[in-house]
Amino acid sequence: MKFLAKALFPLLLIFLAACGPKQDADTPVYREIADLYGKKVAATTGSSQESQLATRHPQIEILRFDTDADLLNALLAGKCDAMAVDQHIFKYFSQITEGAVELEEPLFSVGIGFCFGKGDNVELREQFNAFLRQIKADGTYDQIVDRWINNAHTSKMPDIPLPEDGEPIRMATNSTAPPLVFMKDGELVGFDIEIAKRFAASIGRRVVLSDMNFTALIPSLVSRTQDIAFCGINITEERKKSIDFSDPYFNCNSIVAVRMENSEGYTADGANVQQESLASRIATSFRRNILEEKRYLLIVDGLKITFIISLLSCLLGTLLGALVCWMRMSRNKLLCGFSNFYISIMRGMPVLVLLMIMFYVVFAGTSLNSVTVAVITFGMNFAAYVCEMFRSAIESVDKGQTEAGVALGFTPFKTFIYIVLPQAFKQVLPVFKGETISLVKTTSIVGFIAVQDLTKVGDIIRSRTFDAFFPLVMVAVLYFIVSWLFAAALDYIGKKAS
Amino acid sequence: MIEVSHLKKTYSNGLEVLKDVNAVIGKGEVISIIGPSGTGKSTFLRCLNLLETPSGGSIVVNGEDLLSPKTDISAVRCKMGMVFQSFNLFNHLSIMENLCIGPMKLLGKSRESAQARAMELLSMVGLAEKANAMPSQLSGGQKQRVAIARCLSMDPEIILFDEPTSALDPTMVSEVLGVIRTLAKQGMTMVIVTHEMRFARDVSTRIFYMDQGVVYEEGTPEQIFENPQKERTRIFINRIRDYNYQIHSANYDLYQLQGGITQFCNKYFLPQPVQFNIQLLTEEALQIVPLGKGTTDLALRYSEKTGLIALELLMPAGIASVLHNPTTPPDGLSMSIIEGLCSKIEETAENLPEGERLRLRFEIKQIS
Repeated sequence: MKFLAKALFPLLLIFLAACGPKQDADTPVYREIADLYGKKVAATTGSSQESQLATRHPQIEILRFDTDADLLNALLAGKCDAMAVDQHIFKYFSQITEGAVELEEPLFSVGIGFCFGKGDNVELREQFNAFLRQIKADGTYDQIVDRWINNAHTSKMPDIPLPEDGEPIRMATNSTAPPLVFMKDGELVGFDIEIAKRFAASIGRRVVLSDMNFTALIPSLVSRTQDIAFCGINITEERKKSIDFSDPYFNCNSIVAVRMENSEGYTADGANVQQESLASRIATSFRRNILEEKRYLLIVDGLKITFIISLLSCLLGTLLGALVCWMRMSRNKLLCGFSNFYISIMRGMPVLVLLMIMFYVVFAGTSLNSVTVAVITFGMNFAAYVCEMFRSAIESVDKGQTEAGVALGFTPFKTFIYIVLPQAFKQVLPVFKGETISLVKTTSIVGFIAVQDLTKVGDIIRSRTFDAFFPLVMVAVLYFIVSWLFAAALDYIGKKAS
Repeated sequence: MIEVSHLKKTYSNGLEVLKDVNAVIGKGEVISIIGPSGTGKSTFLRCLNLLETPSGGSIVVNGEDLLSPKTDISAVRCKMGMVFQSFNLFNHLSIMENLCIGPMKLLGKSRESAQARAMELLSMVGLAEKANAMPSQLSGGQKQRVAIARCLSMDPEIILFDEPTSALDPTMVSEVLGVIRTLAKQGMTMVIVTHEMRFARDVSTRIFYMDQGVVYEEGTPEQIFENPQKERTRIFINRIRDYNYQIHSANYDLYQLQGGITQFCNKYFLPQPVQFNIQLLTEEALQIVPLGKGTTDLALRYSEKTGLIALELLMPAGIASVLHNPTTPPDGLSMSIIEGLCSKIEETAENLPEGERLRLRFEIKQIS
């Protein structure tokens, strides 16, 4: 009962917040981009819309978001006045929601290309360009455009046979960019995906796809962890400095969209007056976010990943922490100095930064998968905190206890095991529990290195349904449950031990 | 059983606690170590089971040299129990488990036999009904009795007691001393660092008086308590308090000296008439001695135990006699006043590092 009450309270708060933006009597009307000067316009971080807005319309305040779905959510929630986005993406949005309207004045037009590491893979790039010319010539390209740009919601991925083994092409993409790349029935599909797969099939190579944050795509090429990156990446001079582009495979118009009530010719007595009841809204939301396309499978997978990463990093961190603690307390100055250094480095660095360093620098050339890298990173970070907890717990045990044990005939090591450790354990457990829960929540950043954990799954679903409320709350509740499980397990261990 | 020779201990901060300790402890002996604070009594005891590592010398227990790297010190400690001032019961274990953990983990006893023995020992120290209590539920005296029982659970050949009653309320001291007395009667070999003089006297076969980093004087309780041979032992046993003043010339500061004596008397609650006698004696005694030929050390000694007050004057070297000086006999009037005040007047020559010096000692008559 208590558990339910705890879980329901935040839910209630979010409901109140989710009741939608307030309607102003004096609604401004935006006809062209210049009308938005001094207003807030949303764009994705690192996108060309962001840089184009900044150079061409410096009077506009830019809000930066991570995914295109976030842009739409922010616009509909009234957090910004307009959004700058690719036209084909907006088309895709419009097929689901009617809340936004594009301005007639285009922002700019630019080609998008597949990206390759600078200087290397020249052969692969040539092969890709040749492939592109071929599908444009034989009509395949037009089919793909028709399938994904015009009818993304009803289209299915055609079956493209790929070899099962052999040296793979490592491809990086971001699954929150429909209709180019998105998740459907638990699989990556879309315009770019089909081109990528057809290309791989044409040269007879296996494909390993990594789903990572948009901002991580180009760094992954620079660090040579990936061979190709694609996700509607605009060809810009700036990017050409660090990577190589293929020939453009699609010409992409960028547009600016505003809320419907800010568009010209909008009348208030439109379709949106009719209000659904709260219950039916939740039911619809549940169906769209969980049941449709079997999204619950995605959620279960994400939950598993989050659980596994948390559990393994907790175990690794505890063992490593014990080792560092032993070094920290040893009389050897070298060991002690090293552990001190280790602790201050780990504590002085944001985990996200550490995670990126581990993934893009330390383990860049290795075949370690990203889950392993995540476990190692969180384990290392956890160890630094655990070590200090262990140390203070051990030091809090009275020196007389050790003396009594030694005087009774125990060796110093046995004294530590039988006398000091049980008492230190009792001391450390409450703090350790808190730190473990905090670890579970910290794992939510693994999306940055292409791991599909719970948070990432929430993002993926949001990018499809444009519903901020349900996926976020669900993810929050699931995190709560995982944390609660960990805490309960530790409580159980504590009881068992005493 | 234990032979200690030339034991030295210097702490890392340079403090030399034990200078040269030599001692032999035989089987069945009960040794009490007494002495002022900070003279290394506890350090000496803790060296015996190597809780402190000595800086030099040797400790031989049953023919085994403790400081040899080949010695299994943990095995020696199994035979050598220790009771601490702060009890040091294992806080996470019940009383029963405190008594069982050693025999089970170290002697390989079964749980049943360890528990049976533990119950025996708990009955012996009168705490059988507390077997399942946790240490935090016991009083200080009870904790210390459990600590003694824990030692006994290992069937030791000797027990070291490090001020076992110093952390206890006065009301709880006797219950702990009672248990130690019982052990003494049973013939257990024990070394006890204590401040309980009467207990030490009753229970011990020998007393070590430790001072200045050595065993300063040792002997039977009668020898040490009734008739201590050495100066510092006497001062300690008779709880002698002293006031010292140095006189360098005939023009010494009499008012400063008198002020000092008044303060000393007030500190030890000496009554007004006694104070008056002390002041008078001091003044007259300084009349009859030659001043200005070097440093005269004045010491006023008061024994809290016997009530005896004595004034001592240590003359500069070169003065052979004051009372029986044929060339300048002491002033007659002063002498008669002094004789009236004192029950005993003597002068002795003392061999000191700086040479032979004359000591004059005046014992003041006790006012009944």
